Amino acid sequence: MSGIGMNANKNDTSRWAATRIAALLTAVLSLSMLSSCSPSHEDRIVVGSKNFTESFILGELIAQQIEARTQLKVERRFYLAGTYICQQAILAGRIDVYPEYTGTALTAVLKQSAASDKAEVYQRVKTEYERRFGLTLGPAFGFNDTFAMEIRGEDARRLNVKTLSQAAQFAPQWRAGFGYEFMERPDGYRGLVATYGLHFAGEPRIMDLGLLARALKDHQVDFAGGNATDGLIPALDLFVLQDDRHYFPPYEAVPIIRKQTVHEHPEVARALDALNGQISDAEMQQMNYAVDAQHRDTADVAREFLRAKKLIP
Amino acid sequence: MHAIDANPVIEFRDVSYRVQGTDVLRGLSLQVAKGETLVLLGRSGSGKTTTLKMVNGLVSPTSGAVLVNGATHTDVDVIRLRRGIGYVIQEVGLFPHFTVSRNIGVVPKIEGWNDARIQARVQELLQLVGLSPEIASRYPHQLSGGQRQRVGVARALAADPAILLMDEPFGALDPLTRDELQREFLSLQRRVNKTVVFVTHDLREALRLGSRIALMEAGKLVTVLSPHEFVKSDDPWASAYVRAFGDGLESAANRGTS
Amino acid sequence: MNVIRFLLQNHTQVLELTMEHLWLVGLSTAFAMLIGIPLGIIIAHRPSWNRPVLASANIIQTIPSLALFGFLLPVPWLGARSDRLAILALTLYALLPIIRNTYAGIRGVDAAVIEAGKGMGLTESQLLFQVELPLAVSVILSGVRIAVVISVGLATIAAAIGAGGLGEFIFRGLAMVDDRVILAGAIPAAILALLADFGVGWLERRLRPR
Repeated sequence: MSGIGMNANKNDTSRWAATRIAALLTAVLSLSMLSSCSPSHEDRIVVGSKNFTESFILGELIAQQIEARTQLKVERRFYLAGTYICQQAILAGRIDVYPEYTGTALTAVLKQSAASDKAEVYQRVKTEYERRFGLTLGPAFGFNDTFAMEIRGEDARRLNVKTLSQAAQFAPQWRAGFGYEFMERPDGYRGLVATYGLHFAGEPRIMDLGLLARALKDHQVDFAGGNATDGLIPALDLFVLQDDRHYFPPYEAVPIIRKQTVHEHPEVARALDALNGQISDAEMQQMNYAVDAQHRDTADVAREFLRAKKLIP
Repeated sequence: MHAIDANPVIEFRDVSYRVQGTDVLRGLSLQVAKGETLVLLGRSGSGKTTTLKMVNGLVSPTSGAVLVNGATHTDVDVIRLRRGIGYVIQEVGLFPHFTVSRNIGVVPKIEGWNDARIQARVQELLQLVGLSPEIASRYPHQLSGGQRQRVGVARALAADPAILLMDEPFGALDPLTRDELQREFLSLQRRVNKTVVFVTHDLREALRLGSRIALMEAGKLVTVLSPHEFVKSDDPWASAYVRAFGDGLESAANRGTS
Repeated sequence: MNVIRFLLQNHTQVLELTMEHLWLVGLSTAFAMLIGIPLGIIIAHRPSWNRPVLASANIIQTIPSLALFGFLLPVPWLGARSDRLAILALTLYALLPIIRNTYAGIRGVDAAVIEAGKGMGLTESQLLFQVELPLAVSVILSGVRIAVVISVGLATIAAAIGAGGLGEFIFRGLAMVDDRVILAGAIPAAILALLADFGVGWLERRLRPR
């Protein structure tokens, strides 16, 4: 008799309130947990890449190769900002495969000291990645994108320097420029100046990798830490100083794949095996140049390469 | 008429209470007999509210003992003690998110009464305190001050406690409503016959409602007298009160019947 | 509009990143509530603890989020996985509003109500669950609402350390210098924050005591 109408449902305020809140929380939590509990992307492969052109191109090559050779749908998660981000993403299962470099894996991820033998580095990284992270190393793509310490071609000829040891005497007259990661990495700046006794004029300028070559050409810097496969090296007449003391470890480009992905989709591993040794240093330089300097579309450049090699129809 | 009861319901034995260096109560000895309405009369700071709160253990004495039905609240589980004592305060303190019915039924509910029994008791009490049954489904903010305090009294009586503690319960009400509630309290007391300890600073109220008046000043018990004795007393404090309150006290002492 | 087309074309990825974002926010808020509400209740009942607890939570809030992520990176187990780290950091940031509002909500309950409740013989837990919490729930929820909105924003920064979520679109878009990608992260994140604000706010209003 009493408590009809709107008062009736307010009678048990505390219990009602508690249930509502509990329901809300459960809904939000289950919704979000459903999403990330062991992401099995069903018939989807997520390909990651770092945030520079070469990684972008390799990512595209991997993606297109998988698309052509398997029935799987490929999702691209490119431009991840660096080694750490990619490592975290693949560990968390947010990406299934991404292109890495053996030298980077050895020193920056595994935190071991650099070695100079290509095969040894590859093997060590492969074993450790399997053991520690459950990640598989695919076969190398074929080029060695080691760090290239560049000077202008005209300076190399004029001063008659070919190696880093020879360049050391001129370093105090030079302003140096490096990418952010190179400055921070254990196999980067610190080791370089220590090994060769380099003392540059002032603090090195830190800039985006993509801008280094041009900065060197424009005399904003005189010594730049770029990469061996940089397309602008031949284009801008830049000279790569020889690493005569073998400071830089090899940086063979390899695909890193989640073990789980290999188990569930062995066809992915097979597709990537077909890329083994297919890309030479010069070919990588050309592709980089096409995208960086000629501003061609990355997907087009990758497709063109794969077709030329008869890897995809 | 200060008879020493063999079995007082409430007893204070030389109770003192000291907090932050101040003596709030000093050497209080007092007995409350079954069925009487003992009024604690005094001005603010006299210690009357503190004394009241010692009965249901909201305050613990620094020295001395407070016995309820022969036991101190350290012997007896204080929660059980409180459930057997009705407590009415000036601000009422109804739970704003409960209906009147649910407010009244708080103690019965936690004592495990079934819903039907609680409902019946709520209706019974509403009638007892002079409220219409449809008030049961209203919320405190929908009631007037007088209605709220009636609910407060109903709530205090819900589990049928033997003791009722009332701390200036009508102090926040307008004079007309106060008068009404005082009269109803008297008729209620005649019907339910609880042991009541009632705190007030209003002599008129004390004379009207109390069977005995315990006058307190600065933490000490000055004197305990019946209403008639009080009005005629020579005690300096008592007579000071009488003077302060002016005329018409005889009629108050006669329960307003003359 | 370009962005809308981009969102539709990449809807699987948008959805995936949104789920990751919700996971980060949902889990951390839940933890913050599990820790913060009881803490708030404790300091409301023991005022002497009030200052150290609120001060600590306040200090955490003043640390810039990216810096906090950085501090925690070298910690073993925690730093090994950036989503764990992000969830811890987000939980810490959510603590202050939740603790402070729980404290305020409980202290805001009318003292007369508490006294009447005690005098009637309600136990401490009966008083807490039947009286204090229901009366404080609206204020507590407003603290949760603030925490959720802050978390949605902070979680976008968590992408910088690789924890995923909608911030990843933003950082990728910045690297690619592509507005659509940036907005593909920023717009859903903003919508999430608004939805949370609105949703919890609605609940708050419904539960406000008369």
